[in-house]
Amino acid sequence: MSTPTIPEQGEQKTSDAPSPRQPDGRPEQQAPPSGLAVLARSPKVLAVLVAVLVVVVSAAVGGSGVWPQGWTIDIRTPLNDLDGWLVDNREKSPIFLYFLLHISNSAESSVDAIISLFDAMGWIGVTVVGTLVGWAAGGSDLSRRALRTGGTTLGVFIACGVLNMWAPTMETLALMTVAVFAAAVLGLLLGLGAGLSDRFEKILRPVFDTMQVMPAFAYLLPLLLMFGVGVPSALIATVIYAAPPMARLTSLGLRSADPAALEASASLGASHWQRLWTARLPLARKQMMLGLNQAIMMCLSMVVLASLIGSEGLGDEIYQALGSLDVGTALTAGVAVVLIAVLLDRTTAAAGERLDATVTVGATRLMARIRMAVWGLVLALIGVFSAVGSSIGEREWPDVWTVDVTRPLQSAVDWLTETIGSGIPVLGGTVVWAKGFTVYVLNPLRSGLETTPWWALALLVGVIGWIVGTWRAALTGVICLGLIGMMGLWEKSMDTFSQVIGGLVLTMVIGIVLGILTARVERVERMLRPVLDTMQTMPQFVYLIPVIALVGLSRSAGIIAAVIYACPAVIRITAQGLRYVDPAAMEASRSLGATSRQQLLGVQLPLARKSLLVGVNQGVVLVLSMVVIAGLIGGGALGYDVVQGLSKGDLSQGLPAGIAIVCLGIMLDRITQPAGERPRD
Amino acid sequence: MKNKQIRKTVVAGIGILGALSLSACGAAETNSGGGTDDKVVLAEPSWVGAQANAAVVKKLMEDELDVKVEAKQMDEPVAFDALDSGKADAILEDWHGVPKKEKKYVDEKKTVVSGGDLGVVGHIGWFVPKYYADKNPDVTDYKNLNKYAKDFRTSESGDKGHFIGAAPSYSQHDKELIKNFDLDYKHIPSGAEAAQLKEIQRLYEAKKPFLTYWWEPQWMNNKIDMVEVELPKHTPGCEEPAAKAKCGYETNQLEKFLNADFAKSNSDAAKFIKNFKWTTKDQNEVAGDIAGKKMKPEDAAEKWIKANKSTWEKWLPKK
Amino acid sequence: MSETHESAPATPVFSVRNLWKVFGPKAHRVPGDKELAGLSAAELTKRTGCTAAVRDVSFDVRKGEVFVVMGLSGSGKSTLVRCLTRLIEPTAGVLEMDGEDVRAMDKHRLRELRRHRTAMVFQNFGLLPHRTVTDNVAYGLEIQGMSKQERRAKGTEMVEKVGLEGLGDRRPVQLSGGQQQRVGLARALAVDPEVLLFDEPFSALDPLIRRDMQEEVIRLHREEGRTMIFITHDLSEALRLGDRILLMRDGEIVQLGTPEEIVANPADDYVRDFVRDVPREQVISVRRAMRPAEKADGDNGAELSPDTLVSDAIEAVARSGENLRVVDDGRTIGVIDHACLLNVVAGIDGDDDGEGDPGKDKEVAAV
Repeated sequence: MSTPTIPEQGEQKTSDAPSPRQPDGRPEQQAPPSGLAVLARSPKVLAVLVAVLVVVVSAAVGGSGVWPQGWTIDIRTPLNDLDGWLVDNREKSPIFLYFLLHISNSAESSVDAIISLFDAMGWIGVTVVGTLVGWAAGGSDLSRRALRTGGTTLGVFIACGVLNMWAPTMETLALMTVAVFAAAVLGLLLGLGAGLSDRFEKILRPVFDTMQVMPAFAYLLPLLLMFGVGVPSALIATVIYAAPPMARLTSLGLRSADPAALEASASLGASHWQRLWTARLPLARKQMMLGLNQAIMMCLSMVVLASLIGSEGLGDEIYQALGSLDVGTALTAGVAVVLIAVLLDRTTAAAGERLDATVTVGATRLMARIRMAVWGLVLALIGVFSAVGSSIGEREWPDVWTVDVTRPLQSAVDWLTETIGSGIPVLGGTVVWAKGFTVYVLNPLRSGLETTPWWALALLVGVIGWIVGTWRAALTGVICLGLIGMMGLWEKSMDTFSQVIGGLVLTMVIGIVLGILTARVERVERMLRPVLDTMQTMPQFVYLIPVIALVGLSRSAGIIAAVIYACPAVIRITAQGLRYVDPAAMEASRSLGATSRQQLLGVQLPLARKSLLVGVNQGVVLVLSMVVIAGLIGGGALGYDVVQGLSKGDLSQGLPAGIAIVCLGIMLDRITQPAGERPRD
Repeated sequence: MKNKQIRKTVVAGIGILGALSLSACGAAETNSGGGTDDKVVLAEPSWVGAQANAAVVKKLMEDELDVKVEAKQMDEPVAFDALDSGKADAILEDWHGVPKKEKKYVDEKKTVVSGGDLGVVGHIGWFVPKYYADKNPDVTDYKNLNKYAKDFRTSESGDKGHFIGAAPSYSQHDKELIKNFDLDYKHIPSGAEAAQLKEIQRLYEAKKPFLTYWWEPQWMNNKIDMVEVELPKHTPGCEEPAAKAKCGYETNQLEKFLNADFAKSNSDAAKFIKNFKWTTKDQNEVAGDIAGKKMKPEDAAEKWIKANKSTWEKWLPKK
Repeated sequence: MSETHESAPATPVFSVRNLWKVFGPKAHRVPGDKELAGLSAAELTKRTGCTAAVRDVSFDVRKGEVFVVMGLSGSGKSTLVRCLTRLIEPTAGVLEMDGEDVRAMDKHRLRELRRHRTAMVFQNFGLLPHRTVTDNVAYGLEIQGMSKQERRAKGTEMVEKVGLEGLGDRRPVQLSGGQQQRVGLARALAVDPEVLLFDEPFSALDPLIRRDMQEEVIRLHREEGRTMIFITHDLSEALRLGDRILLMRDGEIVQLGTPEEIVANPADDYVRDFVRDVPREQVISVRRAMRPAEKADGDNGAELSPDTLVSDAIEAVARSGENLRVVDDGRTIGVIDHACLLNVVAGIDGDDDGEGDPGKDKEVAAV
């Protein structure tokens, strides 16, 4: 019968303060034990140290580290020629006549057709049919899910009407319908190909990887030149943007299907087609539904952004309103966008849930019939309403039933920006803070990056890429840097780079702190969730202008916008990573009497390292895409070049900047992406 | 995996779909949307003055001529492409901001023709707020700007003065002027007009000094008082090439441009647009209502139309 | 092990009275409500949406014994053991450790209890993959705030104690399942707790390794005599290790007793079903198998102690070919013959006894 002896209270006090972190690095697992292990990991640490040293020394000694003039190539001339050719041949060249213009025309006419269908049905018809579709997606019964989905749909339609956003909402919905359909079909086909053929997958993968890091902003310009300003360009940009997740998830679903089920199907003598139809596709259904959901969300965000190149609807409403600094109207339209996002998300989620739900006992045959009947009813109603809709009600939501919230919103935003901007006693306000941030963080960072010789930077990128990922990642990163230099955009890219780093640091600090709080305090999570949802779906344009009131027309404005944009994702990933830490390890630590702090620092954070890295990676991509849009509000550098190219239709200025952004994105993605990891799948 | 068959089929399917869109229906229409008689498409640049033009023209054409009008937002460079391709029929207010395209489409391809003057006089220049100019009267000469550079410093411009540049699509050669005049300023462009306006609004309310690219007509001039900094007088061609420019901006007769086919059609719509001409004051009145009083463009237009029948009656084509 | 539980009845280490753990909305009303408390599990869920994982459980854990809690999955045994250190907060009832009310402890006191007085070994090991074996073992000491040197030394010592010499610098992923659980065991031992809690520690291991580990636990118990509470769903494990076994079903105690009592005297059909395939001769002692001595038996013949297992008695009887006397403290308390032994093997005796005094076990359970 032994009793506890050693760790008595008295002794404890004399012992050191708890040091929850291990001093030695966190190396790869394969390392053999003892001294060898230390050796095996030290070269990497050493390499980083050397690279950093080289960078610092060379920056201090060299003075200016710009890419040598002689190594740049002139890409402006060929691009100008291409620009000229495009202008001259837009109506003559066979590639336009027989291919591109078909796409453009059918895009335009299908959107027009849907808009006129909505018009013909009138607002009553659209609302009724929409609600019915929502209800049907939820299961068309009296279950809570079906009623909730239908109710959400009804509520969103009414809210959009009341907010006096009916017409633009319908335009956006029409664009969405076409875009989602096209993106889903394209994604499905590509996904099927990639899921079934290894070679196809091998070709597609790098394309998709690039698409993921490519800010949509970067490819608006080529589309603009090919299709001109208008709906087709916007639609095509949207489809290009939204198809990859669908394809990715379809392929993933096909590839990750339970091998036992496939084996069973094969053992029953199924032919390949039978296997595809009866086993592989049904097993991939859930992933495909997820892909569809993602595609829809991306479509929505892009349909708004594409107002820059002539898309109609809510995005245009926002863009126009900002022209006269009418933040109230922009915000109202933004709210409508958020509402549509809620509607589409809930509907697809409900439909997806239904795939999972086990079939309720009995009455399934009846239910199936009822469902068929409901869909039939939907079709019939569309027909009926489009025939008589305009006679039973107005085409648009009646004006009498609208509430003007733009003024109160405007004054609320004005008050808020003024108070936070400079009205905080003692602490000053964001204007002062932003100045400090620019002077003490951004400026030194930028001049540091600009004085660092290009080869030292390439070395650093290579080393980091090699350590975090693979030598291939390192090589890709260095090549990207090289391309940037060769295009003669070194200085501007470094400017953008410094903004990305600044934004990333802020994003990570805020994101991780809030992520930890979210994961650990349930109240915070409940409060934060709707805020995050709104932040993720609210079009970025809406807060671009108020941000200027907060910090002035400066790089900080862009960075703040980027932080607002990127934080939700980082918060989510952090919280999820922390929450899904092996529960056994957590319980073990609790059972040993660890305090919350000890649990967090000793178990949760180290075990969630992978997802934290994923968070960094995601943060990089999002911050970059927003820092580029910040070209609109004083971000300068590459973003401004793209904006300039877009608004002047100048290929030779916009395209190289766009490519440089993509290069920067790929480089940052590779050096923050742990080896063997494919996040975001 | 023995999926060869399926794989082939799927790849073939993708191929066929591609091929279908390529060839199935022959040559495509090159001129969809716009350009037809029943609907006139106006290119509407992003500033409020242009909105005012478009709103009044749209309202009048729809009410008096029974022609459907659609105003599409696009800035000058894009608008010229649209005029060339027939996607837009007319732009009502061009500041000659894209001389290259103007030359190419109007003089070379002859797909775009002038529609005459708008009547509004556009003026671009460098401006400082009045409260600052009152305290420092000699700032209004560009030669003295270096003396005041330190007043205009910001965190963005570092140890130089901050010059708020224009949105990218606007005609400008400020960056070159700063360099050629050896001014101790840093040109910091605004990405969009809205951004510039917001920034000026913020600085003006905080009574901070600032130096900016600014222009007239501009609805915000109703709300703020600005004083121009004198630049050397503009002479024809002095800003060409921009790198050697050493002069201010031309005072512009703002011009209308039409798609050539639309102009030739000689329809009522085309005639009306050619006749459309009003003054800076008229435009500012409508623009002020839209931006300052946050009226809907169509309401602001209606208000002006009611009050100025004599002006617009002259624009209607004679029957 | 049976030697150790003979110690004098002192204050129990854990004393549990009428403990409830109810999951679900407004769980607190269930234990107090006579009507709800009487419902079956399914009805309770239907009526209130609550699940009672532990229902009105009372027992004592004596110092130095190996106390096994056994039941199928879902019987509430894991919940019960977590309630002891309030890893799961009990809904109602009294819970004392060494006479101290555990439920009344504040955060700090509870943490002290977890740090110094108990330690737990988990089914899924709960090791930290980013630390070496030694650092994992020393983790509990680190939490207590022990200096690095000290805890390293202690950690190394414990690593050796569980037979992992030379593996201290590895990481958990580089070890086999059995080795990983040895790390888990060493981590628990390192804090030198008064009570060791085992939550199905070996059920994820291969049978052979499981046996090894059981031996290890028996060895440790023999060497240190530490109180152990052991959760398992494996009857043979329970019988091997347990001084006393608490059998649970649907959150309730079905029977509490020594392995012998449970095998020989199942409280109800459920338990009887459970122990059906147990080789009874290896659990039941001659004390239970013997018949009263009769005059005819006389005073000669070989002697057996009453704790001798029937399987051993069979061997002795077979070898000697005659009846044996069961002697306790020099007094003959009974006789064992072929018939008695066959009855045990055939499982006839238990039935009689079981029906004879069914109330006896219930009483034990209610203590």
